[in-house]
Amino acid sequence: MIEFINVTKHYPGRHHVLRELNLTLNKGQMALLTGSSGAGKSTLLKLLLRLEDVSHGTLMVNGVDVSTLKKRHIPAYRRRIGVVFQDHKLLMDRDVFSNVALTLQVGGITGRQIQSRVRAALEKVGLGNRIHNMPATLSGGEQQRVGIARAIVHTPEILLADEPTGNLDGSLSTEILDLFRDFHHHGTTVLVATHDQSQVERLGLPVFHLEQGGLQNPREKKS
Amino acid sequence: MSALQIRWDAARNAVHTLARQPLATLMTILALAIVLALPVGLFAALNNLQQLLGHWRDQAQISLFLHQNATEQDVQQLQKALQGGKGVVNVRYIGKAAALGEFEHNAGMTAAIRILGENPLPASFIVELNPLAQSSAALQTQVNAWAQRPGVASAQSDLHWVARLQAILALGERAVWILAVMLAIGAVLVMGNTIRLHIAQRRDEIDVASLVGATRSFIRRPFLYQGFFQGAVAGILAWIIIAITIALLQEPVDRLAVLYGTQFHLLGLSGLEGLILVGISALLGWLGSRLAVGQHLDHTFS
Repeated sequence: MIEFINVTKHYPGRHHVLRELNLTLNKGQMALLTGSSGAGKSTLLKLLLRLEDVSHGTLMVNGVDVSTLKKRHIPAYRRRIGVVFQDHKLLMDRDVFSNVALTLQVGGITGRQIQSRVRAALEKVGLGNRIHNMPATLSGGEQQRVGIARAIVHTPEILLADEPTGNLDGSLSTEILDLFRDFHHHGTTVLVATHDQSQVERLGLPVFHLEQGGLQNPREKKS
Repeated sequence: MSALQIRWDAARNAVHTLARQPLATLMTILALAIVLALPVGLFAALNNLQQLLGHWRDQAQISLFLHQNATEQDVQQLQKALQGGKGVVNVRYIGKAAALGEFEHNAGMTAAIRILGENPLPASFIVELNPLAQSSAALQTQVNAWAQRPGVASAQSDLHWVARLQAILALGERAVWILAVMLAIGAVLVMGNTIRLHIAQRRDEIDVASLVGATRSFIRRPFLYQGFFQGAVAGILAWIIIAITIALLQEPVDRLAVLYGTQFHLLGLSGLEGLILVGISALLGWLGSRLAVGQHLDHTFS
């Protein structure tokens, strides 16, 4: 369960990016985060990853008070989350397998477990036959699938995605978002930031619409 | 995953990273080796100088002249005390008759001595000391104590040169230490800078690892191993450089020694000293890496 309670985020000398935000995403739920550029979508995800600190308020994630989490506990907290980025953030000098395996290595897993779990994750995203390819040899959609495999290989409790279809065309966007929906159906809590209105309408999922640092409609709205 | 497995993976990762850039790795190791070889070479030179001075130990010679009425017991007890003295290399007793014989032989004054009717020369002890066995002040104290013993009339010694020699050696040793500390800092900086370059090259990897939950130690470990390995190899190379230098110098030293009618074998590093050099070098490499990667992680995890 993700719970923003009166969360404010501001940077020194700048306006408030998030202002007394209240938002709840129940465990196992999937929702979309929408809003115009600069509305605070990425900042909200950064707060969830604890890449940024909450200025005021409380942010609870599956019982953990992220807003007061000590630095030394952040890595363990992040290992409970999977994250997908618009620019994939793949390591271009490593093959697909190594990119996905990184998440498991960081979590202290090695050897055969890595082999089997990476293969399984890549099969899930349809890249079972590209395991030893270098990222540069893959299409944009395939690179994003590798990013997704890396995010789900350790079966995280929560999956976050920041504009995962931002660089993809319509049909690829549909495939990628359907993948997220599959993971949601397996019990993962999923929050996807997107500005793709057609996909929002197609998916029919709960939507949190951010504008000027706050929810436009504080209640979850069905599109 | 066991802690050993994690470390093994990090070590393998470090070796692969170094092997991927053989020229850069070699240059770093060479730079470190030369930085280390300089102070260690100076230490070896100082060690050889001390060894050389040890060859001249007979120059630290003290003469203890005995009273004419010194008893046999006084002589025996004094001899025992002298032989047990610190840094004493040799004790030689010259009886009255032997002293007279030597005097006659050296000075050619046989006729004058005969006129005196009796042997005026005292018995004496000639004590040869290692000038570096103790400080010149302690040496002087020891000589004074001997001079106070029963049967001793006077002591004759020239310990000023020992004090001067010890002062020069202390100066050399201090200079080498200062140089060693400065070059050790240099070694840390060389390694730190090298690791900073590695960090810059792997910034994306560090950022992604941090995003997926890597701990500081997970990210830091391969860099520390890189520094450690490069430092250790540089230490071995420095050891080899010193050994080659000494081998190259031995021949001219031999020729010089022959001119002085002696032999002198240059000392390199012993096995233990070499291992200490490699250990310190590895430690400096590790320290440089730790400083560089720590600074970066402070920024990444802030």
